[in-house]
This record gives sequence, structure tokens and C-alpha cells, in this order.
Amino acid sequence: MANLFPHLLNGLSLGLLFALIALGFMLIVGVMELINLAHGSLFALGAYFALVIIAPDPAWLGPLGESYHALPLAARYALALLVAPVLVGVVGMGLELCMRRTYGKKAEYGLLLTFGAALVLEETIRVLWGPSEQYLQVPRSISGAFLFAGLIYSKYKLFAALFAAAAIALVWLFLERTPYGAIIKAGAHDSEMVRALGIDLTRLRLLVFGLGAGLAGLAGIVLTPIWGLRPHVGVDAVIPAFLIIVLGGIGSFWGAVLGGILVGVAVGLTGAYASGWSLLSMYLLLIVVVTVRARGLFGRKSVLEA
Amino acid sequence: MAQRNLTRRSLLKQAGMLSAGAAATAFMGPWRYNRVYAAASDKPLMIGLTSDASGQYANSGASDRRGMHLAIAEFNKRGGVLGRTVKTIHLDTETTPATGSRVAERLIARDECAFLIGAVSSGVANAISQVAQKYGTVYLNTNSSSPTESGKNCHRVKFVWDGNGTNFAQAAVQNAIRAYGKKWLLMTNDYVWGHNTSAATRRLVGRYGGEIIDEILVPQGTRDFSAMLLKAQQAAPHVVAAAVGGDDLKAMRQQVAQLGLGQKMAWINNQQDWPDVYGLPLDNLFGVFGTTWYWKLDLPGVADFVKRYQAAYPSDPMRVPGNVFYNGYMATRELLSAVERAGSTNNRKVIQELEGLKVSARDRMQHHDAYMNSATHQMQQTIYLATANHGTKERDDMFKVLSQSSPEEIRDTGADAACKLESLADTPTYEM
Repeated sequence: MANLFPHLLNGLSLGLLFALIALGFMLIVGVMELINLAHGSLFALGAYFALVIIAPDPAWLGPLGESYHALPLAARYALALLVAPVLVGVVGMGLELCMRRTYGKKAEYGLLLTFGAALVLEETIRVLWGPSEQYLQVPRSISGAFLFAGLIYSKYKLFAALFAAAAIALVWLFLERTPYGAIIKAGAHDSEMVRALGIDLTRLRLLVFGLGAGLAGLAGIVLTPIWGLRPHVGVDAVIPAFLIIVLGGIGSFWGAVLGGILVGVAVGLTGAYASGWSLLSMYLLLIVVVTVRARGLFGRKSVLEA
Repeated sequence: MAQRNLTRRSLLKQAGMLSAGAAATAFMGPWRYNRVYAAASDKPLMIGLTSDASGQYANSGASDRRGMHLAIAEFNKRGGVLGRTVKTIHLDTETTPATGSRVAERLIARDECAFLIGAVSSGVANAISQVAQKYGTVYLNTNSSSPTESGKNCHRVKFVWDGNGTNFAQAAVQNAIRAYGKKWLLMTNDYVWGHNTSAATRRLVGRYGGEIIDEILVPQGTRDFSAMLLKAQQAAPHVVAAAVGGDDLKAMRQQVAQLGLGQKMAWINNQQDWPDVYGLPLDNLFGVFGTTWYWKLDLPGVADFVKRYQAAYPSDPMRVPGNVFYNGYMATRELLSAVERAGSTNNRKVIQELEGLKVSARDRMQHHDAYMNSATHQMQQTIYLATANHGTKERDDMFKVLSQSSPEEIRDTGADAACKLESLADTPTYEM
């Protein structure tokens, strides 16, 4: 048991990070019934925007360059956590504007458009930042390691898990305790009724896509100091995100959170005891859950079901 | 019975048709054995570049390609090969064996490439070489280093230019047991290169009196290593021997650096490709690792080679060449030289030239003379062990070379036993 405990804790922290990755994906699927295959590229874009905010080329800033670099890394990192997701959100909104011609058509149109967007974004990253591995700096206070019960843990991983938990709580508060959240939820439940009540559905979709994209970007900033940063890092995010929302039930907030945690624990435990199965474990988990409960853990009942 | 008059015109016509028929019989006989294309001196010599532009080894694939391009540009500047300009076609092998097969098939059968060059992933290299052997097309595996590439998956048409997992393990294991201890833990990328490299390490650890206490498999695509690194800490080995490559290695390295585990236990990383580490903080370069070449080797020709690289790629973010570029360059240069020596693009003649290849240390820019092992088709060369160069102020001087081993010291005798090359007579022949 003493040997198992660190792995359970590790799985839990990994699960919170997976849940953070899936949140933005869940919002867009829930409200717009659209599988956003560009989620991974937006994840990567967030990290690259953060890279520029944390360590910009001094030439870009002109006379301000030196004084900006003199700011403590913690301040630049905090700025990146705030600004980069907003920038990704704006990119997401641009993508939503392109999506509009696909509304009301077959789902394949949306899938193809977001797939194309993913390729364009990844290639744009490659052109702007090059194909090589990049390094996203984190403040000294959250880097390094600490010793607990004879084992070494990463401070940053702990920070990232706590940050993910806080982000999940904030998104939940936004959805549950604000009128905007109520509109989003209503839009996910019955968009025609929302429109009938005089709410501008076009603007709602724009904002939801922006929010979902911003959350993808935020996850990218938090995850890439662990995973490393390269143009195609988004591929590593989009597959678990999709899997988690199917596992948790499409459009369900707590489904995405619980799905993320279950995937994290499965990957963490198999990583320790049957490491060859660690990536496969999430797919096996999905098969088991979907076999027992086709709509996922917290998915709404389909009208086709008796 | 109709009477036919034999005129001069009809006689010439029939003679022409007869000649064309004879030529067609000669050139278009069984495809397998007689691929002869017009090898006129004004026809460019086409070479297919089979390197990854996407997937796990996209970055290394680009570096590999730059090496090939430089070698080809240098030949073209001197008037080409056998008076013919060398041209290339590149298709992305996507770090995927199935794509590698498809790409090889297309480059040989449709684009009529005389030779194929390039690989980083051993799985892709193996797939390409199976297709190449079917057509008899000479193929250079530039940068994949699974021992099986020159062992059980060797082919008459394939030549392997990188040091393999066994070579690197040979260079490191005995010294590491002596320096750090006998309890070893293996971290193995769960695909052909990882398994074969770890198998070689396991054999050597056993031979030198060490013990493997555990083996942690790392599936390809792993991004979170925390569970595996906790497990490694619980096992408390003296040495961790990692055979993890590509993006998996990058993620693992980042996490090992965050935990400071690079200093807590001894790490032997099989081989460290330059494109995978270039520009990263030195803390991420933990432990001891192998390489075939380094841009700061104090040897004749190295500085000039670096200058030629910088002149050819002035805007490349990688300001100095690394081992992957070097292998791509050397393999291509030696192939084109072999064609010149053979005086023909006939594959059998080129194969024979490459089988007898000997390159002086000076030409290789390494410490020892190198030669092609004619039994396995692997280049036998100097292997270097290196570690992070913490004492430097020069940004690109990331490695500190610790030792160099001669080809004899690190020879992969297992490959000699495992490799069964097809006979030259059974290899389809062609000339383009």
C-alpha cells in the first residue's frame, strides 16, 4: 500500500491536468455540438504565445525590450497565463467566424474545417517558431523538486495540478453562478428556446468558441513545461480530450472532470505497474465504460433511448 | 496468293521494327532482373529522399535531409556524378512504417529513383528496405540505430550509416558498471529500436557482472513519465539505462530535469541526437550518452565542415551541424563517390563498391578509420561518449566528449551472426 499511495496521488494530479485539457473541448461540443479537431493546435498555440510573452525577442520591443526582460520571470509568467489564453480565444473566435457557413449542414463540414484549421495552425507555428523543440520557462519558485516520504516529486507538477483544480473550479463557478453561464448551459440544452427568448445565439456561439479555445490555450501553457514544446504537441492533447468527453458524457462538465481523473489514475497506475499498457489503459477504460453505459458517465439520455 | 513486292522502303521499315522488337526484348524482359532506363549523360540522376517531415522524428528528418542536400549540392557544383546532374525527390515518411513502404514503392516504381536515402526510425527504415530489396534499389539507412537494421533485418541493398544500440552500449556499459554499480534498470521505448537496444544492454550488463533489476516499458507517444520515474526511484538502481527516443525522450528529459533525477542516479542514454537537444537548457542533458560525431571535435576538416554548413544554411535556427546532419551528409557523399568509382549506376556495381568501402579518419572527421562491414552492411566507425558541457560559455558547445572508442572495441558481433544478406545474384539488377 505504501508503494501504491504515491502512484494514486500521481494519477490524481495527472487526472486534473487531463480534465483541464478536456474542458474547452467539452464546452464547444456541449453548446455547439461540434467536434473541434483544432483543439490540439489551439493548445499548442497557447504555449507558443506564452513563449513570446515570457521571453520575447528584445528587438521586437525596441527600447522597452531591456526593461521588459528585467521584470521578474514570475511576473512575465503570470502575464502569459492571463494574456496568452485571451489571444488564443481571439484566434478561436476567428475560427468560429469561418465555421458559420457550415452550420445547419452535415457534421462532416465542421469536422473537415476544424481539421484543416488544425493543419494550418500547426504549419503556421512551424513557420513562425521553427520545427525545433522550445523551452517554456517557469518561475524558480515552482520549478525543481521536493522530497516527500522518501520520494522526489516535481514542484511544477504539483503547481500545475493545483492550478488545473482552480481553473476547473472557476469555470464551474462561471457556468453555475453567472447569468452568462446560465445562457451557455441553456444554449447547450435547447438552443431554439434560447433564441426564442431573444438571446443572440450567433454571439453566444462566438463567445463559447472563444472561451473553449482560450481554455485549450491555457492548458497548453500549463502542460508544455512538462511535455515539452514542439509544433505538433497539440496532437498529444486532442486525442485524450476527445476520449475524456466521450467517457464522461458529451456536454457534461462533471463528466469531463471525472473522466479526466479516471484517465489520469488509469494511466498513472498502469505507468507504474504495467507500463507497456499505460497509453492503452485509457482506451480500455473507454471501451469498458461505453460498453456498460453508451452515453458516458454523465451523458444525457438520448431521445432514441426508451 | 497475293504477290508482295519487296521495296527498299518496306525493307527498311521491317528492319526498323525488328530492331525495336529486339531492343524491347532486351530491356523489357523480366522486370525483376532487367530494369534498364536510358542513362544518357544529360538525364539527371534521380535520388529519392525518404526522411520524416512529420511525426516523432520530423525534426531529425529535416536535419538528415539538409545533410543529403549539402552533399548533393557539392557534387553538382563539381559537375554532377558521371557527368549527370543529381536531382532529388522528397516524400514524407511520417515516422510511420506503412507510409515508408508506400513512399519507397512510389519513388522506385513511379518516380524512377536510382537510389533511396534516409531514415531515423528503425521501423520505417525496415519497411523501406523491404521494398527496396524487392526492386534491388540501393537504400541508405542514414540515421536509424536499431541493432536489427544491420542484424536480422539486413538486406543486400541496404547500408546502415549510424552507430547502433549495441555499439553505444559496448562503449558505455563496462565503464558504467565499474564507476556507478551493478544494479541496473532499463527504460525501454516500446518499439523495435528500444527493445533491441535494451536487449543489447541487458546482454552486456550480464557479461560484465551487473544485474538488471527491472525494465520499464515506455509506449511510443508517452508524455507523462511521472509514474515511471516514481517507479524508478522506488527500485533504487545504481544506473538507469534509457533507450528512449524522439519526442518521448524530449518529454522524459524535461521531467527528469524537473525532478533533479539526473544528478540523483547515474543515467546512460543510448544515443543523443543533436536535433533533439539543440537549444535546450543544459540541465535537460543529463547522464552520459553516445554520439558518432560532434561539431567541436578537434580534428582536421571539422571546422571547415561547420563553415560549409553555415554557408549552406545561414538562416537555419540550428547554427551548427550535429550527428544526424553528419550521417546524412556522409552517407550521400559515399554513395555518390561509389557511383563515380563504379563508373555506372548499375546497382550491383554500386553495392560492390559500398561493400568494399574504407574511409580514412581524416575523411570521416573522426578519430579512427572507418569501413563498411561487408557481412552486415553497417559502417564501422568511432563512437563517442559525451555528457553536458556545464563549463562552457559558448551557447552551441553543449557536449563534453568523454571518450572515443575504435570500431573494433564496439563491434556488434551479434549483428554479424544475425545478418543473412540475400545473394547478389538474387538481387534484381538495374541501371538508370
